[in-house]
Amino acid sequence: MSRIHIFGIGSPAGDDQAGWLTVDALFAAGLHSEDGFVIEKLDRPGTSLIPLLDKAAWVILVDAMQGSGPAGRIRHFDQTDWPQHAKGLSTHGIGVLDALSLASALGSLPPRLDLYGIEIGSANPGAPAADEIASAARQLARCIAAAVSPSLRSP
Amino acid sequence: MSEQRRSVAIHVPVLARVEGEGALDLRIDDGAITELRLRIFEPPRFFEKFLEGHHYSEIPDMVARICGICPVAYQVTAAQALEKLFGVELDPWARAMRRVFYCGEWIQSHSLHIHLLAAPDFFGCNSAIELAKIAPDDVRRGLRIQALGNELMDLFGARSVHPVGVRIGGFHGAPPLARIREVREKLRAALPEAEALVRWTAGIAVPQDDQVFVSVAMQHPTGYAIETGGIAASDGLLIDAGGFDAHFAERHEAHSTALFSAYHGQPYLVGPLARLNLNHAHLPERVRALLAETGLALPSRNLFHSLVARAVEILLALHEALRLLDAYRVPDSPWVAVTPRAGVATGCTEAPRGLLWHRYEMDDDGRVLSARIVPPTSQNQARIEEDLRLSLLSFGLDQPDDALRLHCEKVIRNYDPCISCATHFLRMNVERG
Repeated sequence: MSRIHIFGIGSPAGDDQAGWLTVDALFAAGLHSEDGFVIEKLDRPGTSLIPLLDKAAWVILVDAMQGSGPAGRIRHFDQTDWPQHAKGLSTHGIGVLDALSLASALGSLPPRLDLYGIEIGSANPGAPAADEIASAARQLARCIAAAVSPSLRSP
Repeated sequence: MSEQRRSVAIHVPVLARVEGEGALDLRIDDGAITELRLRIFEPPRFFEKFLEGHHYSEIPDMVARICGICPVAYQVTAAQALEKLFGVELDPWARAMRRVFYCGEWIQSHSLHIHLLAAPDFFGCNSAIELAKIAPDDVRRGLRIQALGNELMDLFGARSVHPVGVRIGGFHGAPPLARIREVREKLRAALPEAEALVRWTAGIAVPQDDQVFVSVAMQHPTGYAIETGGIAASDGLLIDAGGFDAHFAERHEAHSTALFSAYHGQPYLVGPLARLNLNHAHLPERVRALLAETGLALPSRNLFHSLVARAVEILLALHEALRLLDAYRVPDSPWVAVTPRAGVATGCTEAPRGLLWHRYEMDDDGRVLSARIVPPTSQNQARIEEDLRLSLLSFGLDQPDDALRLHCEKVIRNYDPCISCATHFLRMNVERG
């Protein structure tokens, strides 16, 4: 079992690239996939996220979110927060929280799961992400890198 | 015993586990249905109008945006129509890989519908999350199959969501043989899983229903029609795509932003059960044998058999993809050159939810002058209303409101309606006066 998996979730649509930009910032910081450590960008995975979860001891997910806060605000979600944000499963609208709720029912959640959201503004197809999103992604990448470093150094 | 005929009004304001925004209004007076309307109120998206003025090379990527779950159907139908008009003869490689690409979409869409949308109804569950708690192995199997469908779409589309691999004349690129070998092994490994899925769906107790309807689906003389063939009906009709308007007509109803379709003035069925009813003789021998083992008699007049029909089509699609990929070679070019010409292009394919028909009027430069797209959900809309009426009479109008509501939702979910495509779907309102 790989120990740590970091997934940046997004799409090629403006600020919705927040998760991908976080992965880019982790790469830029010198972190790369290696034995026991996976960093990957995912394009709107829906339920395909579920089989990726139970292969790791620790999964870190980063996704764009639209909330009431300013664009660029970073939030961390506990499992107790999921139900109030899940929208319910449909063929077209399976979000990360819906997939995580289904994974939980299947007993497929990893021992440790950190879910981060970066609040976004507009998500126009083909547009670049706003500066504050790129900045938040770099900030979050620094936090994640600091959090996983002790585990990567340990034998 | 004296019987008091009640009057009931049921409104389902948001129908769960279907795609899009719509509602159902049901009114029962003195034990008779006096109003039954499937209201689709999602705003029209004007996609056909967006296409006007655009170059033929842009059309596959634009129409892929119509649906997040069946983009391949839209891309391949548009490509087929335009290639026919432009006199393009696809390389046999591209023809075969279009079918593999399409198989991927059937596999992922059908698996999602069976496990996330339809099956919970038959296990007394409100959602796939509840179903996952009582049948985790079955749901996990479904997710694995669905992921394999996505992988096939990604293989030829560069991504499974709004893929971008199709171009007029073929594909933009060809996957390397090494990747094909990996996928072939996964397809082979999935066959017993899909066979188990067919047995599982065939074993699910569904309501007994028997309705008379016309099935409409594509037919091909040498195989189970997916991406090529003529349009057939269970009354013997067999036409090509260009003859669609002579037999099928769309009309507007005030309660729906999606158009209703009629075949010779009557509702008709498109989708997996219609296809299986018309084409089961073209299933591979191994699939036919399994189908016979389940005891499902075809043609079926019970729409609840749509569940097993989808499972059978998953197994078929796995066999087809494997057969075609076993003969895979990297082509000299994945596309052939195209020279546009003016005229009218028509095409049709079998989207996961049923027949999808496109018509384009093109100018000399290869730009769209006008477009018409008839998706499966709008074709099924009148049939859904007819089915609800007949099915409720069979179920019993004196059933409690909650039971009526659930039954209506089950009936509607059988069709896997995509209101996003048709224009999008369900809220139910029942009134008993």
